[in-house]
Amino acid sequence: MSERAITDASPPITCRGLTRTFGRTVALAPLDLDVSPGQVTGLLGPNGSGKSTLLRCLVGLVRPDSGTARVAGVQVVGDGTAVRRRVTYAPGELHLYGEMRGGEQIDWLLRGRGARARRRGRSVAAELGLPLSDKVRGYSHGMKRQLCFAAAMAPDVAVRILDEPSEGLDPTKRSELLSYLAEDAAGDRTILLSSHHLGEVALACQRLVFLNEGRVIADETPASVQERAARLLHLAWAGKPPGGLAAALAGPHAESVTIEGSRVTVLLAQRDPRPFLAALARQSDLPAPAEIEIGRLSLQGLYRDLYGVAGV
Amino acid sequence: MRISREVRGYLLYAGAFFVVLEALLWVAILWWPSFEENTAALKQISSPLPMLTDQLNLIERIGVGAYVVGQHFFKGCNTLGIAAAVLFAMGAVAGEAQRGTLEAWLARPVSRLRLYSERYCAGQLALWVPIMAATLTIPALLTTVDEKMGYADLARCAVHQSLFLGVIYSLTFMLSARGSQPVWIAMTMLFLAIFEFAIYMVKTITHYSVFRWVDIESFAEILKEDALAPWVTLSLIGLNLAPYLVGLAFFQRRLP
Repeated sequence: MSERAITDASPPITCRGLTRTFGRTVALAPLDLDVSPGQVTGLLGPNGSGKSTLLRCLVGLVRPDSGTARVAGVQVVGDGTAVRRRVTYAPGELHLYGEMRGGEQIDWLLRGRGARARRRGRSVAAELGLPLSDKVRGYSHGMKRQLCFAAAMAPDVAVRILDEPSEGLDPTKRSELLSYLAEDAAGDRTILLSSHHLGEVALACQRLVFLNEGRVIADETPASVQERAARLLHLAWAGKPPGGLAAALAGPHAESVTIEGSRVTVLLAQRDPRPFLAALARQSDLPAPAEIEIGRLSLQGLYRDLYGVAGV
Repeated sequence: MRISREVRGYLLYAGAFFVVLEALLWVAILWWPSFEENTAALKQISSPLPMLTDQLNLIERIGVGAYVVGQHFFKGCNTLGIAAAVLFAMGAVAGEAQRGTLEAWLARPVSRLRLYSERYCAGQLALWVPIMAATLTIPALLTTVDEKMGYADLARCAVHQSLFLGVIYSLTFMLSARGSQPVWIAMTMLFLAIFEFAIYMVKTITHYSVFRWVDIESFAEILKEDALAPWVTLSLIGLNLAPYLVGLAFFQRRLP
């Protein structure tokens, strides 16, 4: 029987009040999350925001201190074997057995999944161009990443949990992986992936969940993130920004103004920057800015400008 | 049938262990006639170490049986077996952690109980099978020097020896389930073994040494009684199981 034959009305992934600390470090503050079926959900956050811990909790590799998680219709309890039978997981930490050949490594990763999954894993790996008869020690970082991806995509399960599946890949391979994900999700499969690459998640995901310090700080669609990012305007003055700048820039055309050192970020009230720039030009007592930048979409900028999170 | 990487590893360990044990056995048994002739001279040489003199007295009194268990079990299995037990167990879990493969190992849909127990049992078998197999070649080897020993007697001694080495293996395995540095685990266990052997060699404190359980005298007792001592055997089984269970508890909560 296929593991996908499980029917359950509840969302494929549900967490309630999940917490986990490592010594004094809070990896997961009480965290609630529901992931809808047949969706690719991207988990984003700076290093140490709790992404990997959350994913590990969901597959039973890390036991939460409190709270509950339910994945693919199964409560995550004990060592999570019951959950891992119903989901696939690609770890973020990439260490494989150098002495194994690529094909052997795929079989090893797919232990307990059946011969069909192993054949499918080898076929995905071959499609990705991996030399399965070569020893894994000769693989590059990107090839190892693809090998893990192939193994995670092989079993016919309802949920896939992927921790930075495209980390270290070149843009061509990355887009190849994205098309695999899109094709897979189209088959009514639920995919939860973590990434540091906004362009990638914006393309592949229908939903973006931003984590910081173990909490969900934003839960949006890529379109709404891009819409807000397109309303970001950055101004820079040579040297120190002039005094009274925040008050001078505030007005009906600016939703918020943030000043950090010589950098000023304005979230415009509308996408068209011209009314704001015209109002700025009318402020004759302000020196002309040295730089004006509009709608730049980088993950680092997004964290800082939209969510006020530093240190990505 | 394809043999998995892990099974291949344990087969290799077991094969190498058997070959070395068997080679030592051949050398020892073929040397028996010369040993018998030179026992008096050997006792003179060992006089500064009363524990060794005692063992030689025992061999002189009992004959080839004591000599064989002394050579095969007390010398061969204890020295090589302790090294093998530590080697087989030290990297079982800690080795995966050290090379970063622990998460991939645990991420498959296989329970931790099963992963842990499979590896534990494979290592135990890699210890037991070579000891039993080498031991059961003794009667045939002894015919080359016109001596005899029964299979059943030797099998009992081999079980006793394997249970003892199993304790060392289980303790090492338990440390491996907790730690991430196989070399440190091995050094700790080997230091403890050497320390215990040093205690064994000092006559006034020898009774505190675990090697009292596997010296010629204890094997001679098994041969004399035609049976394993029940309490000793039960204790050794308990000492195998306790670290296995404690290690399993560590492993169940282990982070990837």
